[in-house]
Amino acid sequence: MLGNYLKIAVKVLLRRKFFTFISLFGISVSLLVLLVTAALLDHVFAPHAPEVRSDRTLGMYMISMQGPHASGNSQPGYGFLDRWVRPMAGMAEVETVSIFRGAQRRLSYVDGRRIESYLKQTDGEFWRVYSFDFLEGGPFLPDDEKNARAVAVINETTRQRFFGGAPAVGRGLTVDGQRFRVVGVVKDVPFLRFLSFSDIWVPTSTSRSQAYRTDWRGDFQAVLLARDRSGFPAIKRELAARLRQAEKQMPERDLFDHIYGGADTLFEATARALLSDGMRETHPEKLLALMLTGMAFFLLLPTLNLVNINLSRILERSSEIGVRKAFGASSGALIGQLVIENVVLTLIGGAIGLVLAAAVLAGINASGLVPYAQFALNFRIFLQGLGIALFFGLLSGIYPAWRMSKLRPVQALQGRPM
Amino acid sequence: MIRLDKVSKMYRTERIETTALDNINFAVEPGEFISIMGPSGCGKSTLLNLMGLLDEPTSGQVAVDGRTAERLSDREMARLRNERIGFVFQQFHLISDLSVLDNVEIPLLYRRMSGRERSQAALAALDRVGLSSRTRHFPSQLSGGQQQRVAIARAVVGRPKVLLADEPTGNLDSQMGDEIMDILESLNREEGTTIVMVTHDPRLAERTHRTVRLFDGRQVQ
Amino acid sequence: MIRHALRLIWNRKRSNALILMEIFLSFLVVFVVATLGIFYWDNYRRPLGYDYRDVWGLEVDLRGEAEKGAGFQESEIFERLLREIGSLAPVEAVGAGFSVPYENSTQTESSDESGRLLTYEVNPVTEGIGGVLKIETVRGRWFEPGDAALAWIPVVIDEDLAHAWFGSADPVGRTFRKATANAKERRVIGVVRDFRRSGELSATSNYLLELWRPTAREATLRNILIRLRPGTPAAFEQELLTRLRGVARDADFEVRTLAQRREESFRSRLVPLVIGLVVAAFLLLMVGLGLVGVLWQNLIRRTREVGLRRAAGASRAGVRGQILIEQLLISTLGIALAMILALQLPLFGVTRFVSPEVLAAGLLAAALTIYLLTTVCALYPSWMASRLPPAEALRYE
Repeated sequence: MLGNYLKIAVKVLLRRKFFTFISLFGISVSLLVLLVTAALLDHVFAPHAPEVRSDRTLGMYMISMQGPHASGNSQPGYGFLDRWVRPMAGMAEVETVSIFRGAQRRLSYVDGRRIESYLKQTDGEFWRVYSFDFLEGGPFLPDDEKNARAVAVINETTRQRFFGGAPAVGRGLTVDGQRFRVVGVVKDVPFLRFLSFSDIWVPTSTSRSQAYRTDWRGDFQAVLLARDRSGFPAIKRELAARLRQAEKQMPERDLFDHIYGGADTLFEATARALLSDGMRETHPEKLLALMLTGMAFFLLLPTLNLVNINLSRILERSSEIGVRKAFGASSGALIGQLVIENVVLTLIGGAIGLVLAAAVLAGINASGLVPYAQFALNFRIFLQGLGIALFFGLLSGIYPAWRMSKLRPVQALQGRPM
Repeated sequence: MIRLDKVSKMYRTERIETTALDNINFAVEPGEFISIMGPSGCGKSTLLNLMGLLDEPTSGQVAVDGRTAERLSDREMARLRNERIGFVFQQFHLISDLSVLDNVEIPLLYRRMSGRERSQAALAALDRVGLSSRTRHFPSQLSGGQQQRVAIARAVVGRPKVLLADEPTGNLDSQMGDEIMDILESLNREEGTTIVMVTHDPRLAERTHRTVRLFDGRQVQ
Repeated sequence: MIRHALRLIWNRKRSNALILMEIFLSFLVVFVVATLGIFYWDNYRRPLGYDYRDVWGLEVDLRGEAEKGAGFQESEIFERLLREIGSLAPVEAVGAGFSVPYENSTQTESSDESGRLLTYEVNPVTEGIGGVLKIETVRGRWFEPGDAALAWIPVVIDEDLAHAWFGSADPVGRTFRKATANAKERRVIGVVRDFRRSGELSATSNYLLELWRPTAREATLRNILIRLRPGTPAAFEQELLTRLRGVARDADFEVRTLAQRREESFRSRLVPLVIGLVVAAFLLLMVGLGLVGVLWQNLIRRTREVGLRRAAGASRAGVRGQILIEQLLISTLGIALAMILALQLPLFGVTRFVSPEVLAAGLLAAALTIYLLTTVCALYPSWMASRLPPAEALRYE
C-alpha cells in the first residue's frame, strides 16, 4: 500500500515539473532560513568546545540593582562576585567557581604593524570550567592569578600574528603597553562562544587598575561548574539566599536596596535578560514558546502557499480520487495517501534545504563576518530540520487532502470544482 | 441484490431546482444482466451512480446486498463499494501514472492482502480479459479497447457481486464495443456476476436479459 | 465588467480566500521591510549636524592612574591629557564629551517647563568639541573659554529641541533648571544645526549640549575626540599613545576613528535590514511562483469558460483583461485588509518612533510591490488562456 502511494507520489512529482519546482523552491528556502537560524542558536546555546560542560554549568551573567528611585541592569562587578559567589565553591554540589571579565579590544605594535586583539582577564579556575585544546604549553594557575604574574595564554591566530606561527611558549608579547610571557597556545575559539572567547587570556590581577576589586557592578561574570545537573536546584537556592544577605550590605544603599539575578543556564539567562522585568525571575519556557511562535509565524506564508499549490494539483487528479473512492477507498485512506505524498515532497525539499543551509553556513564562516566562526550542521540540527519538515508537510497536506476526501465520488469523477 | 425504493434525485443551485430522477423503484436480482436505456440527459448515469453508492439520493432508499446506504458511515460505505461492487466507466478513468498491473490492483489496496496475493489476483483478472502480456504498459500506450479491458479487469479483480458499467462502449468503435460486450456477457454467464449497464445503443440492450427505460427522470416501463 | 468579475470572485470564494490570505501576509512582510528601509533612507538624506571625517575617538579609563594616591583628581589628569594632545603637530582640534557620535549609550532627561513633557539627550562637553566636529551655530554663540567661570551653566541646543520647546520664539537667553534638587540654573546661549549623535540612519532627536565643568563630585568624561589634519597616517596612533602614557602611565586607552564607529553603527543597523530584504525577496518569489501555478491551474479548469467567452465574441485582449482584473480585485481586497490592520499601528504609539509620512510611504511601497507582483504573475497565464482558439478551449473538458 505504502509502496503504491510512494510510486504515485514520485510519478505525480515528475509529471508536473513546474509545480514540483515551485513547491520544492518554497519548501527548501523556508527550511533553509529555519535551519540556518537553528544552527546559529545551536552554536550559541548547545555545548561546543571549549564550553563542552555547559550542560552542568550555571552562571551569573547579569544583575539588576533596584531602589525606590533608581534601577540599573549591568554585569556584576568583581567585588560582589568574589565576596558572594566565589565562596559557593565550598558547596558539595559545586566543583569549582570561576570569575572572569568580558573580552576587551586591545592594541599592540609589532615592528610597526598595528595588531588589534581581544584580551580576556580570568582566574586560574577558568581553565577547569572550560576545556580548551592546547597546541603547546598549558593554562596559567590559580597561583599565577594570586601573585599577579604577567603570563598569558594566546590563540593560534595570535601566535601567527606575533610570532609568525613559530612556537611561542616562553616568549614575551606586549599588549597595550603591558608585557606578558606566553605559557600556552590554544586553538581559536569562535566569537559567539561569548563566555570563553578571546585572543589572549591573562590573569585578572594583572589589570593596571585594581579598582575592580571592590566594584559591585562592572564587567565581570561568574560561572559555577556543578558536579551534576541534579545539583542545580540546590545551587540556585543557595545563590538566591546569598543575594538576600548581600542586599543588607550594599555599597550604594541610599540608591539601591535590592539586587536581582540568579544562577542560570545560558538559555535561562537569555530568558531572564529578555523577558523579565528587572531580572527578578527567569522563564525559559516562555522564551521557548516565543521562539516557536516566531517559527510558526514565519512558516505561515510558505504553508499557505503550499496549501494553495497542493489544492490546485490535487484538483487536477480528481479523476484518480474518484476512481479510488469508487473502488472502496475510505476518506481516511485517501487523506493518508495525499498527506504521505506531501510529506515525501517536503522531505525532499528539506534535504535540499539542508544542503543549501550547509552552503550558507560555510559561506558565513568563510566571509569572516563573525571572527573564528565555526557554524556547522550537526545531528541535532538535522533532527530539528527533519521535525520541522514533517510538521510543515503535515500542516500543508492535511487541509487539501481533507477538502478532496470530502468530495462525493461522482463529483470527483466528473472533475467538477469543489 | 440492489433495491431502489422511491428514489428521487434533485440538483439544487441557488435559483433553480432540476429533477434528475423522480420516484424510481426497481430491484436487480442476483445473476441478472440489465441494461438501462434512454435519451441523453434522462438520468441514466445518475441512476447508476446512486446504485453504486457514488452519490446520495435526495429522497428514497438504496439498498445494496440488503444493507440500506443511508445508515452507513463513510468507512462502511467504502467497504461495501470495495467488496460488492465493481465499476466500468465510459472514459475508462485509468490512473495514467500507474502501470496496467498497478491500476488493476487498486481495489485490492483497500483490503488486507499481501503484495504477492494482490499481483496474482491482478494477473488472473488481466488474463481473463486477454491482456496478460501488457501488464507493464501504461494506459497511454494502449488502444481505447485495451484500456477498457484493463478497466474491466480492475472492476472484477475483487470478485464483486455486481458490475456497474456506464456506457462502457461509448468511446469505442463498434468492433471494439462488441469485444467488450463479449467479455461482459461471458462474465455474467460463466461467473454469475450481476451486471447493470447503461447504454443508448439498442443493439447492445438487446443482448441483455432485461431493459429499464428512462425518460426525463421517470421510469417508462 | 468589474461587477461581473466581482461576482466570479465571490462564486469561487473558497479558493480565492486562500490567495487572499497569501496576499494579505505578503503585504505585511513587504510593509515591515519597506518601512524600515524608507525610515533609514529618509533619515540618511537629512543633515547630520557634524563632520565625522578625520576625527579619532579616544576612550580613557583613568581609575588606574587616580588610585596611585598623590592626591590627583581624575579631572586634573584629564585636562592635562587634553593639553598634551592639543600640543601635537597633526592635531587640529581636541575636545571631550560624555558620549560621542555613533555610540550606543545615551543620557536623557525630561522637562515639562514648556507645558508638555519633552525628552532630550544631554551631553556634557568641553568647548573644544565644536571645532572637532565642526558644529555650525545658527543662532546665538558657541561656548567660549571664559564660560567655565559663569555662575550659571551655559547650554547649546539643536534646532529640533529649540523648535519643540520654544516654537518660533528665540530660545537664546531662556533659562531653566535640571529637575534634581539644588541644580544650577541653565541658560541657552546658542542654537546649532539639528544634531544626530546616533548617526545618519537614526531619526532626528532633541539634543542638548551643556558645558562640562570639572568638579570633584561628578563623574569625569570618558571620551576625547581629536580632529587631525587630513592625511595624517594611521601610524600616528602609536606616537599618540606613547605621549599619553607619558602623562598617565597607568590609564587605559582605546583609539577608534569615528569613521570606524560609523561603519560599525551602519553595519549593526543595515545587516538586519539586508537579511530581512533577502528573506522577504525569497518569500515574494515563492508566493509569486505559487500564484502563477495556481492561476494556471485555475485557468485550465476554466478553459471551458474561456472558450465560451471567446465564442460569445470576447477578443483576446478582452479575455486577458478580464483575468487581470479578477486578479487585481483579489489583490486589492488583500491589500485593503492588511491596510486596515496597518492603520491601527498609530494606536500603539508607533508614530513616536516612525513618522506618519514614513509609515504612509511604507504602505504605498508595499501596495505597489504587491500589485506589481500579482500583475506580473497573472500576465503569463492570462496570455496563454487568451491564445487558446475558442474551439480548442471548448473541447478541452
